[in-house]
Amino acid sequence: MMRNIKINSNQFLVLVIFFTIGTSILEVPSALADKTNQDAWITAIIGTGIGLLVIWFFTWIALWFPTLTYIQITEKIFGKWIGRVASLIFISLPLLYTSSLLFQSGNFLNTHMMPYTPMVALNILMVGILVMGVYLGLETIARSAEILFAFFFLAFFVFVLLIAPEIRIENVQPVFEVNLKNMLQSSLFLVITSSVNAIVILMIFPAFLNKVKQARRSFLIGNLIGGIVIIIITFLSVSVLGADKTANEIFPSFELAKRISTGDFIERIEVLMASLWIISLYFKMILYFYATVFGIAQVLNLKDYRPLTMPLGLIVMVLSLVIYPNVVYKQDMNITTEYSFSLIVGIFIPLLLALIYGIRKKSLKKELNSSK
Amino acid sequence: MKRHMIVLLILSLFLTGCWDKRELNELAITVAMGIDKVEDEFQLTAQVVVPSEVSMKQSSGRSPVTLFQAKGETVYEALRKMTISSPRKIYPGHLRMLVIGEELAQEGIGESLELLSRDWELRSDFYVVVAKDKTAAEILNVSTPIESIPANKMFNTLKTSENSWSATKGITLDDLISDLISDGQNPVLSGIYITGNEESGSSKQNVESITPSAQILYDYLAVFNKDKLVGWLTERESIGYNYITNSIKTTVTSVSCPEKGKASIEVIQFKSDMKGKINKGEPEVDVNIQVEGNVGSVECHINLKEPVTIEELEKIYEKEVKESIDQTIETAQKQYKTDIFGFGQAIHRSNPKTWKKIKEQWDEKFTDMVVNVEVDLKLRRTGTVNKSFLKSLQE
Repeated sequence: MMRNIKINSNQFLVLVIFFTIGTSILEVPSALADKTNQDAWITAIIGTGIGLLVIWFFTWIALWFPTLTYIQITEKIFGKWIGRVASLIFISLPLLYTSSLLFQSGNFLNTHMMPYTPMVALNILMVGILVMGVYLGLETIARSAEILFAFFFLAFFVFVLLIAPEIRIENVQPVFEVNLKNMLQSSLFLVITSSVNAIVILMIFPAFLNKVKQARRSFLIGNLIGGIVIIIITFLSVSVLGADKTANEIFPSFELAKRISTGDFIERIEVLMASLWIISLYFKMILYFYATVFGIAQVLNLKDYRPLTMPLGLIVMVLSLVIYPNVVYKQDMNITTEYSFSLIVGIFIPLLLALIYGIRKKSLKKELNSSK
Repeated sequence: MKRHMIVLLILSLFLTGCWDKRELNELAITVAMGIDKVEDEFQLTAQVVVPSEVSMKQSSGRSPVTLFQAKGETVYEALRKMTISSPRKIYPGHLRMLVIGEELAQEGIGESLELLSRDWELRSDFYVVVAKDKTAAEILNVSTPIESIPANKMFNTLKTSENSWSATKGITLDDLISDLISDGQNPVLSGIYITGNEESGSSKQNVESITPSAQILYDYLAVFNKDKLVGWLTERESIGYNYITNSIKTTVTSVSCPEKGKASIEVIQFKSDMKGKINKGEPEVDVNIQVEGNVGSVECHINLKEPVTIEELEKIYEKEVKESIDQTIETAQKQYKTDIFGFGQAIHRSNPKTWKKIKEQWDEKFTDMVVNVEVDLKLRRTGTVNKSFLKSLQE
């Protein structure tokens, strides 16, 4: 019954956009401005460019076997046992990152809106809709993404329009002060959160898409659109708040929304704007979670992944409470351990995969043809 | 599963909003805050709205605001300690004014601002001002006419005077902090002080007479070096400061007529452009000011029907404004030795490489750098009349 699920390339496009924007919209501006100051937005452009290359690389891998998910590809190429180990390492990434995002959503609400609410309560609610979404399946997720997408971009447009009068061009001058090496280094954060981690989307692409060719284009375009949103947000943060303040804020784009004040009338609407982040956060989280649940089901050769949703939801929730002892630790972990982890799972293993595929290409093709 | 979901949904109804609910009648809405340093401790004063007095219907004639005060080793501690005198928890989300006592300003304002930038309840869109010759608590203790809430009066006065007179400058916490942390720019803040008999200022009788016996007014700009108050600009210098930093919206400037008497020019459009450059290895800044204005009043005998007169007036204005700007720059360079104009940043923007080299010695470089000021006025209109009636009066 898993085979019947298909989403179209537009729905896929929307999912990819949400995944790319995800948490980056909240955190990337400060991460980029930290080292590259007023040139952060250029760094964002570089990061988006590199990200597109990474995505191109992923689609290249995925299209070797257009009907298989990433886990099946891994097992096919590496062989059953090594493949399984590699798959388990792969699954640990979305599992961990679902919890990480869950922590972030709770942490965001705790910091800016509800400081006395225990995080567990906020996370239970979030996990509730997470489990519900995955349980109802990919098609439901995709359709709801389509609906919320319209709202997301309307709100984003209004946001940009309202904050635009506050832009001060002096804040982004001098342009190109930072050298390219620093920019490349800083852009790594964006490349990893937005593109390298997108390897989990290979659990959907191309196996669950009805038109693979178009979907490949959607994957790239989605990543690009998401990247543009990040570039805009970074530019706005730096040009409105200034580089130093952007780097110092934990959630610079929320601070940005606080600055909106049009005619002493449209103001204090940052909470409305926060819904933007909650939406994109949710879809990124659900894609991670879907990859986790579905991945485990495939490794264990289960017919249906659904029985796993509830227990994994509980695991993810508990993990989200213990994963980081405090926010400082989290920020440190993000740029140290999680960097390496993402790079291993998202770049190193796929490269290894490509290498072995190159060696075993002929025998694999034969195997595939004979099985048909 | 569906049933589980329903249970979950129902549960979620009960799970939300219990912890962080805050009712309006549990909050002490703080509109102004004052910070002073008293014997090594921060003394925090909060001006809190009395809700029943600001409602239209049932005000009983008591003061619309009340003050709470507490001391603490940190500002945050003092803020929480305030609950020992306030029946409700201090809620600073609607803060309009932050007043800093002069003594504290001289010692350095950095530490006291840290909480305000970190706390989530505070938005950083309130104005920060310095109490001149007074403690912040004394400033907050004066009742005001027209706006019954003194914080609103302070906020609006600053806003209007900034827009139509331009000798003050409304600086929000964000602006202040970004001036504090950026190299090549030191902050200024508007000053505030009390005239008249301040002892009667806090009572309601103060505003019952036509002329209140104590009044709050704005003084001109306070000059900072890093986060320490080093001195004050005069009125002319404050306007000069705003000329340089492009923060004039409209203003009125009086100029001397060619012979005797005065005329006044109303500034309608204003734009000032600051460009840094390096001339023979030394930093230089060009300030280019373009003004459009109207002849506001002519209190002397000139013939406004002649185009030459307009040109003459333009020349005089340009010369006089340039003089007062030069005066401002000299005061900052020679007397206070602090770059309040952001010339350093202008150099940074134009010559980032040289800036890196001279950044460390900027304070010395600033004091003897060359600033070229250019003022260009274009007079457009002369109001509703052309020739002044004073002219016929004389004849």
